[in-house]
Amino acid sequence: MTPPQRRRRYPSQEAVEPVPKPTPEGEGGDGKRPPERLYVVAGPDGERADLDLVTLIVARADPPPSATPEQTAMLRLTTAPLSVAELSAYLNLPFSVVTVLLTEMLTAELVQARAPIVRQALPDRSLLEAVMHGLQRL
Amino acid sequence: MVSVQSPPGRRELPYARVLLLPAILMAAATGAAAAAVSEPARTAVGWCGGVAMLLVLATAAEAVRRGRALRDLRAEHARHTAYLERRVASHEAEMLRFAKEIVPNAIYRLRSGNSPGEVIRRIGDIDPSYRELPESQLKVLQTVLEIIDREEALRDSAQRSFVSIARRVQAIVHQQNNELREMEEDHGRNPEVFDDLLRIDHGTALIGRLADSISVLGGGRPGRQWPDPVPLYSVLRGGMSRILEYRRIKLDSIAQVNIRGISVEPVIHAVAELMDNATRYSPPQTKVHVTATEVQTGVAVEIEDAGVSFSEEARNKAEGMLERAKAGVDLQDLGDAPRLGLAVVGRLCSQFNMQVSLRSSAYGGVRAVLIVPREMMTEEPAPGLAHGIGAGAVPKTEGALEGPKRAPKRRRPTSPRIPATVSMTDEVPEVTEWTAGGLPQRRSRVKIPLSQRLAEQAAAEKAEREGKPSIWSTPAPAPEPEQKEPEPGLWVEAFWNGLKGDPDPAALTQQTTEPARIEADDERDHK
Repeated sequence: MTPPQRRRRYPSQEAVEPVPKPTPEGEGGDGKRPPERLYVVAGPDGERADLDLVTLIVARADPPPSATPEQTAMLRLTTAPLSVAELSAYLNLPFSVVTVLLTEMLTAELVQARAPIVRQALPDRSLLEAVMHGLQRL
Repeated sequence: MVSVQSPPGRRELPYARVLLLPAILMAAATGAAAAAVSEPARTAVGWCGGVAMLLVLATAAEAVRRGRALRDLRAEHARHTAYLERRVASHEAEMLRFAKEIVPNAIYRLRSGNSPGEVIRRIGDIDPSYRELPESQLKVLQTVLEIIDREEALRDSAQRSFVSIARRVQAIVHQQNNELREMEEDHGRNPEVFDDLLRIDHGTALIGRLADSISVLGGGRPGRQWPDPVPLYSVLRGGMSRILEYRRIKLDSIAQVNIRGISVEPVIHAVAELMDNATRYSPPQTKVHVTATEVQTGVAVEIEDAGVSFSEEARNKAEGMLERAKAGVDLQDLGDAPRLGLAVVGRLCSQFNMQVSLRSSAYGGVRAVLIVPREMMTEEPAPGLAHGIGAGAVPKTEGALEGPKRAPKRRRPTSPRIPATVSMTDEVPEVTEWTAGGLPQRRSRVKIPLSQRLAEQAAAEKAEREGKPSIWSTPAPAPEPEQKEPEPGLWVEAFWNGLKGDPDPAALTQQTTEPARIEADDERDHK
C-alpha cells in the first residue's frame, strides 16, 4: 500500500549494503532520529545570510538562556573557528537549517562569520592593499 | 388478602347435632298436629308428619353436606390464590434479579471474550445459584447475548476498518517522513528546494496526526514507536511539528528529563492535540507558552494560551467530553463537526494513565496541564545529549592518549572583548583612490557574491589544468635593461667617505644621478 521506495540521490558511503525495508506497519524504521521535524528546528524561515560551506564561524558570546539547544551547541562548538560544513556535520543538520540558525545568531551578534578567501586569477586589490599596509606598519 | 377460611377454633359439628334441632321441631310439629286433629285422621297425620320429618331431615342433611363441601372448596380456592400470588411476586423478584444482576453479569462475561453459547453453558461459574435458572430465562438470556454479540461485532468491524485505514495512512506518512528527511539532507544546499521540502514535510506531519487521531479513537495504538529514550524537549518539539501554527509555540523552561521510548508517541500526540487546541482558540498574533516542571507524580506540562476565557459552562462541557472519552468514546458520538482534540486526549489519558485538566489561565485564556506519570520517564540517557541534537557528534577523544588532568578552564571567547561597534575585520578604510571631485573613493571589500567568485576560481583552475594561457602563465614582458644599482654595502662606504671629509666627486655624482624614491609611487604600481 506504500508508494515505491525512493533511491537516495547522493547515497552515503556506508549505505551501500541494502537498507532493511521498514515494516509496513510503520513501526521500527529508524527511531534514531529525533521526533522533531526540521522546520521546527529551523524556526521561522526567511532571509538567509550569504554563507558558504567554508565560511568560518566564531562564537562571540555565551549562549543566552533563550537559545535553542542547537544554537547552544553551535556556540559551544565554535569557541574555536569552525566552518559551516563542519557545523552541519557535527549537528547532523542539513546545510540550509544551519544557515537559518546562523543568520538568526548573526543578527543577534552571537557569532561572527568570516568569508573564505577565494583564489583568483588576479588577486583582490583590497587584499593586497591590506597586506601592504600591514607590512608598512611593522 | 381477606381470609375466607373459617376461624380455626370452630369445631366441625357432627351431623346428629345439626339434624337434631329440625328433627325435634318436626317431631314436635307432627305431635301437635296429631294431637290437634280428630282420632281417625291422627294416624294419617302421624304418617304424613313422619314422612315430612324424614324429607326435611334428608334435605337438611344434604344442605349441611353441601355447605361443608362449599366451605372446603372455598378454603381450597383461597389457598390456591395465595399460592398464585406468592408465585407472581417471586416471579417479579426473579425477573428483577434477571434484569439487574444476571444479564449484566452475562454481558460482562461476553465482553471479556466468551461466545454467547459459552456464557450460557458456564452460567454456573458466575454464581452457583444461576444453575437453577429456568429454561425460559436462559432462552431470553441467550437471545439477548446473541443480539449484543452481533451488534458488537458489527461495531468492532467498523472500528477495525477505520483503524486499519488509519494504519495504512500512518505507514505511508511514516515512509514519507523518512524520505522527506532524506531529501532534506540531499537538497540541503539548495535553499529554495529545501524550503519547499519543509512545507511538504509540515503538511505530511499534519496528515499523520489526523491518522493517529483516528487510530487512537478506534482503540488502536498511536503510530510510531521509538526504541530509545527521548528528551522531553525533543518530545515537545515533536508535538510542535505536528500542528499547523507551530511558530506561535514558545518553549520556556523545560525540565531536563527523558521519556521512555515506548511512551514517547502518546505524549507527543497528547501534547500536539493540546497545543493545537491552544493555538486554534486564541488570537493568531498571540503566543502559546509551554513549560514543563517536575512534580511529585511525574512531569507537568503546562500549555497556556491567551485566548478567550473559559466560562464555567464551557469548562464543564470540555471536562465532560474528556470524561466521556476516558470512558471510551464511540466514533458515532463525535457528531457532524468532530472536535477530535479533547476526545483523543481523553482516550490517550485513560490508555496511558496520564492526567489532564483544563483551567482558566491568568492571561485570560485556557491553561491545560498534562501530567505525565513517572512510569513514563526514565533515568537512562537519551542518545543525543543536547536535547537530541549535536553533542553526540562532537569529535570524541576516546582512544586518544589522556592528557594531563587540569582543572577545566573558564571558557573565554576567542576573540578579544571589544565592543560590537568595532568591526573585527580588516576593513580599515584605506583611501587609495580619489574621485574627480577630490572625495575619497571607497570600495566595498566584497562586491562580487561568493558563489560567483568560487565559480571564477573553478574556471581559472580548469583553464590552468587545460593549459590555457592565464595571466600568470604568459611570460612576463622582457625586462627593461636594468639600471645600475649600487651594491648593497656601498652606501656604508660612501657614508664613511663623507664622514672622513674627503669628498669623492665620483661618489657624489653617482648618487645624484639616481632618481629620487617617491613613496607614493609604490601604490600606483599595483593598479
